[in-house]
Amino acid sequence: MQGRRNFLKLSAGAAIGSIAATLPGTVQAKTCGEINWNESVDVIVVGSGFAGLSAALNTKRQGMGSVLVLEKMQVIGGNSAINGGWLAIPKNPTQLAQGINDDSPEELVKDQIISGRGMQNEAALRQIANRALDAYELCIDTGVKFKEGFNIQVGGHNKARAIRTQHGTGGDITTKLYEAGVKEGVDYRLQHYIEDFIMDGQKIIGVKVRKNYRFPDLKTGSSIFIKANKAVILANGGFARNMALRAAVDPSLDPTLDCTNALGATGEVTLTAMAYGALPVHMNLIQTGHWGSPDEGGFGWSNALLSIGWHQGASISVLNGKRFMDERADRKTCSEAIMKNRNSDGSPAYPIVLFNYNNYAEDHRVTRALRDKMAWKLDSLDDIAAKFDIPADELKHSITEYNTHVKAGKDPLFNRKMDTAEVLTGPFVVSRIWPKVHYCMGGLKTDLAARVIDGRSMESIKNLYAIGEVTGGIHGEARLSSTSCLECLAMGIVVSETIKADLKGAV
Amino acid sequence: MNKLLLTALLSFVVSQGAMAGELVKMKGSTKGRVNHEFIYQDGCQSCHQGSGRKNATDSACVECHGDINSIDVDETKLAIPEANPHKSLHYNQGASCLACHGEHEKKAPVCAECHRTWFEEM
Ligand SMILES: Cc1cc2nc3c(=O)[nH]c(=O)nc-3n(C[C@H](O)[C@H](O)[C@H](O)COP(=O)(O)OP(=O)(O)OC[C@H]3O[C@@H](n4cnc5c(N)ncnc54)[C@H](O)[C@@H]3O)c2cc1C
Repeated sequence: MQGRRNFLKLSAGAAIGSIAATLPGTVQAKTCGEINWNESVDVIVVGSGFAGLSAALNTKRQGMGSVLVLEKMQVIGGNSAINGGWLAIPKNPTQLAQGINDDSPEELVKDQIISGRGMQNEAALRQIANRALDAYELCIDTGVKFKEGFNIQVGGHNKARAIRTQHGTGGDITTKLYEAGVKEGVDYRLQHYIEDFIMDGQKIIGVKVRKNYRFPDLKTGSSIFIKANKAVILANGGFARNMALRAAVDPSLDPTLDCTNALGATGEVTLTAMAYGALPVHMNLIQTGHWGSPDEGGFGWSNALLSIGWHQGASISVLNGKRFMDERADRKTCSEAIMKNRNSDGSPAYPIVLFNYNNYAEDHRVTRALRDKMAWKLDSLDDIAAKFDIPADELKHSITEYNTHVKAGKDPLFNRKMDTAEVLTGPFVVSRIWPKVHYCMGGLKTDLAARVIDGRSMESIKNLYAIGEVTGGIHGEARLSSTSCLECLAMGIVVSETIKADLKGAV
Repeated sequence: MNKLLLTALLSFVVSQGAMAGELVKMKGSTKGRVNHEFIYQDGCQSCHQGSGRKNATDSACVECHGDINSIDVDETKLAIPEANPHKSLHYNQGASCLACHGEHEKKAPVCAECHRTWFEEM
């Protein structure tokens, strides 16, 4: 885990960088001359998720010269490769074929303003929404396949505008962008960990990299220096896996919360940029998903399984056999209600969610969950009580009561919308739940053109750009689902145009 | 490296049912895979970038086995069709051999970070 201490040690080692951090604006051309560059390229991209892959391919296509993508892990793709493959595109062809003609980039922005609760950056959201069709084209053009005829309305959106990749994973996009990049001459290197930046005053001129690094051991591999003639693009993603950092910025994130992210989402590059003056914004705005299961790692199947559970089933506390929340409330409300379920020693008393098995026996969401033993098929309430150590009488009483509420179409306990609820008769599908940390709304402040802003001068750090989850202040308090994929792909296009324009300006 | 010899060894190992070769004592306390036994006779440098002190890289694996998409996996033995580790939906070509395979120790494949997996020896 990359804690603050590690990063401090690293930047102290790179004397040039530390001087730049304490003396803004100082040019250290003389000192820079002492650096023994191991190689030099035109554009360095840090990270290989949607943002990095899109930026690399687009800068290459803009004719910016040699493009090198550095990825610290042993696989390409970060969070993007394991992502759910949902992509919000207003005016996508499937949407139009469904006869939905009243959507527009502006409609998407409207939804995002509501979920951003006043903290979002409207101009940035508008720019991204306006590039949605370009992002979609980038996918189609590199060979990405989407589920045919599929376009639906997902949480918080006012229109059906989310398409989904063929296999329901962002890997369908990352593998194609990567393969297109390989063909077009982008150079990708795995196990290259960015340790530090090499600055020349308020300009980045290269990076210090640990080559042949083996996650998470910082002693592995060896350090090299790579010069960046034209640009360094930070696309290193969020920091949800950095337990110390997330607790420092949001103490309410309980250490018992697991995380849906890829293991490399530890944020050290974001912290390094901050050490050189990059302005952080909204670092404490971190989204949790209330649909996590403690019986599987990462994102897993739980989210999909619970799209049945929340609508057609009920959630029950194992402590007293009672319902304890409106199962259809938003992420934050549910997370908070779930986390109140604790044993006397403070450890999680994982609540259960149950729904009828018979109607969903063939549903993929159920077959996979049962197969992978993160949910169980149980015939009776007595079986459930025995398996999860719930007071049986209380459980039976709660379900009887719940069933009368379903029939009445009204939930006097939590005021849940009961239109989709089913009378629970068994056999049941039962799973356990506990929230997981999911997305960082905060990160580095950038201008609309993706230039990183130095908080001391409020001007851009020359040649340093950032896009994707590493940036902050765009979505505000809560990001809407299926919009990160859009943001990363679109900003990869925008940043390539910015770099081209900046270089023209420099001539 | 002798490709023919290797192919012969590989098919032998696969027919025995162990995908990546049994892990046995090779040299001193160092463990290794039976199908790589002949490499140990050359010392460590053939895999470790010319010096036993340096990390092994993919190029050593690819030189003999070919790249990830060209290494056959017996699809009839997969628990589910999507679980072909050499044509992963998440990574495909973009995965290092080392993400799943360890020469000197058993290693959990990268998919185990989120999924239940069915590969016993990596
Ligand atoms: C399980 C899951 C499902 C999701 N589903 C959806 C969805 O369906 N739709 C949607 O829009 N959003 C979804 N999201 C959110 C979205 O996937 C992410 O926000 C997005 O992938 C971020 O992309 P990125 O390119 O900014 O970062 P990433 O894809 O995380 O890539 C960053 C890369 O940088 C590398 N890196 C980090 N530090 C260093 C370093 N020091 N040196 C070198 N490399 C480094 C990392 O290893 C990583 O590979 C999901 C997220 C998760 C975790």
